[in-house]
Amino acid sequence: MNKTLRLSFSLQNAYRVNTILYAIKQIPLLKRLLPDSLYACAGLKIFGQVLAVLWEIGTFFLGKFLYFLTMVVGVGVLYEQAPTEAAFAHILIFLTFLGAFLNTYLFNPTRDKYYAVILLRMDARAYALTNYFYSLVKVVVGFLPFTLLFGLLAGAPVWLCLLLPFFVAGCKLAVAAASLWDYERRGNAPNENKLSRIGWSIGGVLFLAAYVPPALGWVLPLPVSAGIVLLGILAGALSLRRVARFAYYRQMMQEMLSQSLQQVDAAKTAARSATAKAITADARITSRRKGFEYLNDLFVKRHRKILWQSAQRIALVCLGLLVLALLALYLYPDARSGINEVLLSFLPYFVFILYAINRGTGFTQALFMNCDRSLLTYSFYKQPGMVLRLFAIRLRGIIAVNLLPAAVIGGGLALLLYVSGGTDNPLNYAVLLVSILCMSVFFSVHYLTIYYLLQPYNAGTEIKSGTYRLVMMATYLVCFFLMQLRMSILLFGAMCIAFCVLYCIAACILVYKFAPRTFRLRA
Amino acid sequence: MQFVIEHLEKRYEKKEVLRDASFAFDSGKIYGLLGRNGAGKTTLFNCINRDIRSDGGSFYLVGDDGARRELQAQDVGYVLSTPTVPEFLTAREFLKFFLEINEGKIRSPQPLDVYFDRMNIAPEDRDKLLKDYSHGMKNKMQMLVNLIAEPTLFLLDEPLTSLDVVVAEEMKALLRHQKAGRVTIFSTHLMDLALDLCDEIVLLSHGVLSRVDKANLDEEGFKEKIIAALQAEEPQGAQEAGHE
Repeated sequence: MNKTLRLSFSLQNAYRVNTILYAIKQIPLLKRLLPDSLYACAGLKIFGQVLAVLWEIGTFFLGKFLYFLTMVVGVGVLYEQAPTEAAFAHILIFLTFLGAFLNTYLFNPTRDKYYAVILLRMDARAYALTNYFYSLVKVVVGFLPFTLLFGLLAGAPVWLCLLLPFFVAGCKLAVAAASLWDYERRGNAPNENKLSRIGWSIGGVLFLAAYVPPALGWVLPLPVSAGIVLLGILAGALSLRRVARFAYYRQMMQEMLSQSLQQVDAAKTAARSATAKAITADARITSRRKGFEYLNDLFVKRHRKILWQSAQRIALVCLGLLVLALLALYLYPDARSGINEVLLSFLPYFVFILYAINRGTGFTQALFMNCDRSLLTYSFYKQPGMVLRLFAIRLRGIIAVNLLPAAVIGGGLALLLYVSGGTDNPLNYAVLLVSILCMSVFFSVHYLTIYYLLQPYNAGTEIKSGTYRLVMMATYLVCFFLMQLRMSILLFGAMCIAFCVLYCIAACILVYKFAPRTFRLRA
Repeated sequence: MQFVIEHLEKRYEKKEVLRDASFAFDSGKIYGLLGRNGAGKTTLFNCINRDIRSDGGSFYLVGDDGARRELQAQDVGYVLSTPTVPEFLTAREFLKFFLEINEGKIRSPQPLDVYFDRMNIAPEDRDKLLKDYSHGMKNKMQMLVNLIAEPTLFLLDEPLTSLDVVVAEEMKALLRHQKAGRVTIFSTHLMDLALDLCDEIVLLSHGVLSRVDKANLDEEGFKEKIIAALQAEEPQGAQEAGHE
């Protein structure tokens, strides 16, 4: 048992450390400095080990601390009508029931299980049991300080606080035993990430049971809670035997892992098959165009699920929100002036919203997976003239897709501004609409440009470019920080329009200059 | 016409995959490129196809009149071991698109169905999405498109290894039939396949290309000679295999 635990630890550490080193090696400048022999460097390994151990200890406590702080006590303080100690126990009990299904450890198809049991052929039963009991110990030890701290703060008796961690472990054990029994009887390999519809419904009911009754002032009385806690511990104790004696860990894990981890060896196939599924197999889709227009037309039509359809859906949702907002302004005239002020200074916020609804990343990913990945192996497709012609056609297409929701948002905001009291300077309306449209065009251009300039994928659809990742991350961060910014429509709008126009011109020049060389498969 | 490689070099960090690789390939012949796993066969093809940049050396075409000319993208046809076809198109749409794009460059274009007939692609499969094609069928499509373009240099990276015997025989016949007027280089690590199909055997080992002369050896003697030549190579590290 000891040896199994040690082995699984060192295995987990080995890949955690390598993951960290791999991540470091993806950073563009560092990449050149660091040799491939990095992975053999003892000092770095030890550094990584230390990080991994700290991480393990952190997960012991930190996760639980946050759980209590937010889910149990944090929400609990909202409930003034219920006695705090009973509300504390009530919420914790129902969340524990929920967690017993959703967070089982045993039925979570993780990589370390796959590596240990399938690839390295460790004894499945020993591996599963050792790690399972370790995870239970982690639950008890990790919970204890916080049930005591938060429980006593809420006014719960000490003995209950001491028992609660065992109750959590007991519930997990009971659910595990029941699932194993179900597997023995019917052969359904449990998998906590693939709950059935019934499972999700029960989960939803438990979640509601945790939070809704306390809001109405009704909670389980403390004696009842205590009884449930004792029952849970008893159930756990009775379940121990079944869990320990279960004979089919190897088969069960094999089935569970093959359900959802076929992609471990090829994480890329998951993304690939997901994108392949985005292709609409509708035989009626045809096109009358020719050449590249024909190719692009068919591509857009066959991918309408992730392009036009989703843009239309977003536009509809925005339209719905607009109607609601108009209704609210109509019903509550007092709110008008406040909304008006917000509208006049909140334009930077919409950069993030347009970032979030842009279809650009989905488009470029589908472009690669379903189209360029294959066509880039044909030489005719890589000729400079062809690359640029197709770029122009695609740019037009993706701009059009993204403009639809942007137009709804821009027009909607202008309308809201008018209804909420208007503005002295009519230019505001125009700038509002135009700058939103510009932002949308900007994101369309941005994604397609970096795709053409960095083409980050290799033939196996792995992202090979650290620069690409950094650019994507920077895009997110910039948008996120803009969200915090407050600026008048005229000022921000004018800057925004100028920036977008300049960016688009620069991007197109760069693409025309470099894309014929950069737009190819990575090795 | 000849395809000439001169002093081609490629290294990954300190590992030299190609060092001073030179060879002259004659048109009209099929060359079998043999090398051990990780010897750099795919790297060589990727360099020629300009998917990766080489670190030194050059390659070019020499016409029958002795005039050198740069290898253009449209000169190269490249069939990968895992066939790649645009999955959102049907076979017919892909072929139509391909012919339209290359309008004017293809000598005597035929109606689409003539091409399908030639490749034994059944009429009921011609309007199916390519994502639903089997491995062998995708391979046929890839070959077809490459052959229509009539490349001067035809690179095939282990193309027949995962095909069933019937399709593999079809492909072999097709390659033999199409070899006139172009250089065909066929990489494989299956020696029997190489001996069966190819006119010349070229070894890639230690990053260097070398011809194995059959001279007056019989089949067995020739095989032994090839194996001996390959064994002279040290085992390749995992690092390089990762790049292949």
